[in-house]
Amino acid sequence: METIAVYWESRIKTYGFNKVDNLSLFEFFCPATKTTELGKVLSNGNFQDTKTKFIVAQESNNGISLVFCLPEKEGRDFHISLKKILSLKSYRYLYPVGVIFFHGPHFGDRYGIADAAFSSLFEAGIKIISSGCSSASVFLVIAEDDLSRAEEVLGKAFDSAQ
Amino acid sequence: MERLKIGGLKLSVVLCQFELKGPDPPQKIVSTVSKALAAEKINIEFLTYHSRKGGDYQISICVNQDKFYSTSNIFQKKGYLPESWEVSSREKIGMVTIFPYHSALAILGVIMATWGENSIPVYGIATSLSAISFLTDFQAIDKAVEIIQSSFQLPDNHAPLKPELHYYQSTVSKKD
Repeated sequence: METIAVYWESRIKTYGFNKVDNLSLFEFFCPATKTTELGKVLSNGNFQDTKTKFIVAQESNNGISLVFCLPEKEGRDFHISLKKILSLKSYRYLYPVGVIFFHGPHFGDRYGIADAAFSSLFEAGIKIISSGCSSASVFLVIAEDDLSRAEEVLGKAFDSAQ
Repeated sequence: MERLKIGGLKLSVVLCQFELKGPDPPQKIVSTVSKALAAEKINIEFLTYHSRKGGDYQISICVNQDKFYSTSNIFQKKGYLPESWEVSSREKIGMVTIFPYHSALAILGVIMATWGENSIPVYGIATSLSAISFLTDFQAIDKAVEIIQSSFQLPDNHAPLKPELHYYQSTVSKKD
């Protein structure tokens, strides 16, 4: 059985925007031969209480690049520990960054959400450092100073629940 | 060691993945590409974007497998991507989403360790407010789920949520 439903929103609906500031970003590359070892390090209990606000990973060059955003103190401790345990020579640590994230009633079922988010921020000159969109939500990592302006810009591009 | 508790598992339909890599700041590219996909009514199921240390950039986009050719055509059209950018694609992948009780970091660790030991690849990871999603080969999903079920503590009688309905929007709008 096929049921066809058509809906259209003049502006894409969201449940509002959430901002998190005072975060640090830690990025490093893990070769494919070491991903099991990295997994064991992350799951051995030392980081069980470490609360991440954002994680993305992308496969590249026969390995995986990982990006983590954590509250400042946890981020500092996490990056110092991993740097030591994994003998990381190449990594990036950025502070301060912020995350703005949002989701909406039709996210996951419709097209056009990434276009509305990325195009509006690009046109406003706000640089996105990293982004992850999955499970019907959009997470954007930007400079902490840009958080309020990003909320304003996204608020014009999307309809926000009051 | 006690197994970590998780709230549940969700599996995707068959997806395909496009990796875009290049030296130029990609925000305009993501904007252009997402606009082109929206114009073709193609829903992005998963997207990660990162401007990496060292100056190169990478965008990873997953769409439904049945949109593979139309998405490929968009990326191959002149003008969408700068010449210095390269595109690679991977067909028939799947997304496993885990709903954690506590630490997404510990779950990430267990998945990387156990999937790695069983040669199950990880092609991408992204977190949301209440979930962490992993991309892998669609044909490896059953094995991946089996490993998750033996590595984590799931609620009693839990079965992974599998998509039963496939939503899509018609390219035709009809008026009364």
